[in-house]
Amino acid sequence: MAFSRSKILPIAVVVLRVLLGGIFIYAGYVKLVEPWQLFAAGIADYEVVPLWAAKFLAHTLPWFEVLVGLLLIVGRWLRTSSVSISLLLLVFFSLMVRAFAGGKEINCGCFGPNELISWKTLVRDGSMLAASLFVTFFAFRNRRTPV
Amino acid sequence: MKMFALALALMLPTFASAQQGKSMGNPNAPLRMDLFDDFTCPHCKMLHEQMLPRIISDFVTPGKAYLVFHEFTLTGPGHEHSKTASMYAAAAARVGKYMAVCDALFATQSSWAVSGKVWEAVAPALSEAERKKVQALMSDPSIAAEVQKDLDQGMAARVDRTPTMVMTRKGKVTPWSSWADYGLFKSMADLLLSK
Repeated sequence: MAFSRSKILPIAVVVLRVLLGGIFIYAGYVKLVEPWQLFAAGIADYEVVPLWAAKFLAHTLPWFEVLVGLLLIVGRWLRTSSVSISLLLLVFFSLMVRAFAGGKEINCGCFGPNELISWKTLVRDGSMLAASLFVTFFAFRNRRTPV
Repeated sequence: MKMFALALALMLPTFASAQQGKSMGNPNAPLRMDLFDDFTCPHCKMLHEQMLPRIISDFVTPGKAYLVFHEFTLTGPGHEHSKTASMYAAAAARVGKYMAVCDALFATQSSWAVSGKVWEAVAPALSEAERKKVQALMSDPSIAAEVQKDLDQGMAARVDRTPTMVMTRKGKVTPWSSWADYGLFKSMADLLLSK
């Protein structure tokens, strides 16, 4: 029995939503269980925001990651959560590419401390960005498709 | 994860004994700070000259922390004379002049790191008798071994850049290598002390 494209795509979208949502919940959780100073230091190392903003983000961003992760999994406010995750990943990925291209040897800050930015982290976050754009596209397309 | 835990377990006993003359404060202080840095690293110079005095006055002098210095000798372009500087510092520690030689090396980093005239930076920090002892110690294999041991300890502690301060409190190891703001480091150290 062959699956048609129309059946595979919705399943793929749900699988990607659960994967991405789970990853975001995990990313938020590991930052919340560590002292906030470690994440603030990680943000400050990118040298794109002032220190007060790094401290503010260290206190708030992990909670936001958990929230949008949960929303993406349960499917509530799907367009809002998928756009939020895509924008977050776009910012994270751009900052990582900028730091890597500039030769900065700093922690990625993705899943807690002690993970230097490398080709591996770039490929991983780039793949997550592609997946989230895919989910976002379908979140908007399904809205317009007549039932 | 198990490998990391094993590495830490193997590392902790060696951390327990600081090398002669390369520590400050009370060894029984509640917080242990192991500083891994390199004499050719510009960020290490900044830390040594601007933040280390504050760390000493805020944590070491009041007896809150025991500070241990380690040479995390870098290699590659720009660090050609790093090992020589580390060896001079280790030798100076044997005559009780570690900090004086560190001060001298960091103060003149931009010249000797390029010219390779490390001794010219070290000598003024020593008396005539100490100069002779330090020069003799440079051919002692235990000095090179000591420098290598520092590097090995840093690798075991997963130090991936300099300067890194590895803070240990009640067995929990917290590496810190962000020096954009002293307040953030102080906040982290205070938090560890409050636990």
